[in-house]
Amino acid sequence: MYKTDIRGKLVDGDKSLSQISTDILAPMYGKMPKWWYGAMTISLIMFAWGAKSIYTTLTVGIGSWGQNNSVAWGWEIVNFVWWIGIGHAGTAFSIFLLILRQKWRSSINRAAEAMTVAAVFCAALFPLIHMGRSWLFFYVFPYPNTRGPLWVNFNSPLFWDFVAISAYLLISASFWYFGMVPDFATIRDTTKSKVKKAVYGFFSFGWTGSSKEWLRYEGLAFVLGGIAAVLVVSVHSIVSTDFAAGITPGWHSTIFPPFFVVGAIFSGFAMVLTLVVLMRKLYKMEDFITDNHVDAVCRVLVFISLIMGTAYITEIFMAWYSGSEYEFFTFFKNRITGDYAFEFWSMFIYNALLPQLFWSRKIRRNIWLVFAISIFINIGMWYERYIIVVTSLSKDYLPSSWAPYHPSLVEIGFYVGTLGMFAAAVLLFFRYIPQIAIHEVKMISKYNTQQSDHLKPGHHDYE
Amino acid sequence: MIMNKKYLVGVFDDEHTLVDAFEKALEKGVVIEEVYTPYPIHEVLLGMKTKTYISHAAFLYGILGVVMLIGGMYYAAVISWPLQFGGKPFNTFPSFIVVTIVGTILTITLLTLFTFSVSSKIFPGKNAVIIDVRATDDKFIIVLDQEKMGIEKPEITQLFQSNGATEVYEKEANTN
Repeated sequence: MYKTDIRGKLVDGDKSLSQISTDILAPMYGKMPKWWYGAMTISLIMFAWGAKSIYTTLTVGIGSWGQNNSVAWGWEIVNFVWWIGIGHAGTAFSIFLLILRQKWRSSINRAAEAMTVAAVFCAALFPLIHMGRSWLFFYVFPYPNTRGPLWVNFNSPLFWDFVAISAYLLISASFWYFGMVPDFATIRDTTKSKVKKAVYGFFSFGWTGSSKEWLRYEGLAFVLGGIAAVLVVSVHSIVSTDFAAGITPGWHSTIFPPFFVVGAIFSGFAMVLTLVVLMRKLYKMEDFITDNHVDAVCRVLVFISLIMGTAYITEIFMAWYSGSEYEFFTFFKNRITGDYAFEFWSMFIYNALLPQLFWSRKIRRNIWLVFAISIFINIGMWYERYIIVVTSLSKDYLPSSWAPYHPSLVEIGFYVGTLGMFAAAVLLFFRYIPQIAIHEVKMISKYNTQQSDHLKPGHHDYE
Repeated sequence: MIMNKKYLVGVFDDEHTLVDAFEKALEKGVVIEEVYTPYPIHEVLLGMKTKTYISHAAFLYGILGVVMLIGGMYYAAVISWPLQFGGKPFNTFPSFIVVTIVGTILTITLLTLFTFSVSSKIFPGKNAVIIDVRATDDKFIIVLDQEKMGIEKPEITQLFQSNGATEVYEKEANTN
């Protein structure tokens, strides 16, 4: 249970309900700030480089990448897993914190969900382009066809992955959208601009806030929340089986599903932190995303970081304890020491050690330090995927097939392009969608304050 | 045929006064047409006596999803195009589980969203029938149908006002 006298108010500034609407909607009405145009231009330039790289890949072929027969999965799979991991935060945030009755989620979940949708889009691009002949991507759909008729292989984790990611994209997008419907109605009913009224009126689907609508809306949120929690866990478990089902040393391990799920939530929470720190600074949302909110996310990160550290050490221990010389080589000669030691230790320090600084309240309250650490976690999680994909593939069982891997400029461009696409999507979100779930914040704004003390018990059990 | 109804509208500034007035009105046997609020209020949702079967529907969709998915994969792998690999059984059931879980979640989500859309009449392009435009911002509104409110107008006006209503007014609208 959230106690405001211990953990601070959920909304600062003792705002009235209409003040909450006005404050949250302010960025949509004011003049666009100069930095917004600057940031958008940079994102679009990055995106353009990405588009050019994709064009090169499609016209020249996968040969334009730095991959070879041994390392057939390079940056593309690294980036795919990285983005999917980030994409986990939104739903993890919304769902797990909803199930755990954490009321502080309300001012962050909208941004986290928006980020999810953008990140999953970025992630989906990589396998799509990696197929080589991307225009034939519909071959992965299981449908009666004229090719045999051949069905897809239902036993393959790659097919599971395709199903999981399409489902995840659809579900997180609809969860996000339906969360916004009441807020769109608020915009429709408060705006003075005719264009906004028409546009948001259309997207608000005729919402009026009647008790019948709210009743079913809560029913819907309950159902979607309950089943999406299963989805969050299953999607990244499935991504991990892409690896764990292979016999490559360093991959063939039962620790992979939980390890990947936790890692995904870790990187996602870090990305949420990065975004939320920026958002509250740039749009002056400190009253809604208070220091206590940032503090809470940091505490979650300490905990997840401990699990990550445990997972790393378990893997290393098992590599030695199993007595398998291939596993031993992979972990002790090719990760802890050897060609990839820098990447390994970056991963270990950024993910397992650095977040331990959050044990200190001083550091949790120092917003720029929090921001810096969140960036390091993102980098660390990228290195983790790099370590998993590249070290294992470049040196497997047969020394004669060992090969180094370096990304080509096209691959780097592709990755930078998705970063640009993500940033552009987030900027559009800042401008055109209420950054914070208005109706949810209204619901909790007076929670646990003096005003509600004289209420009879049970009045505030909004779960 | 479009029929405008005459409504009596009580406007409240916060949740507590609304809930008080709402509960007192119910005690007096007032028939409440609808309550509009900026966020869900559980006392109101309970008091309005409307029930939702959306989670039951979701459960049925889940069963439907499981049957369709396992059936579909069984059909593809065993009946339509059995593949011989190493003498393994055609029906490789355990590896169908993952797709079944994820596919079922997708089925439930899409069908439940559709059900929600149909039952609450929330769909793209619908024109909202708004009784009081402030209900999505900061006002809490009780709406009574003047023809069947089960109480005289002065009495309910008095009840609303003595329980903290900031305004009580009449309005004609067509909410159907």
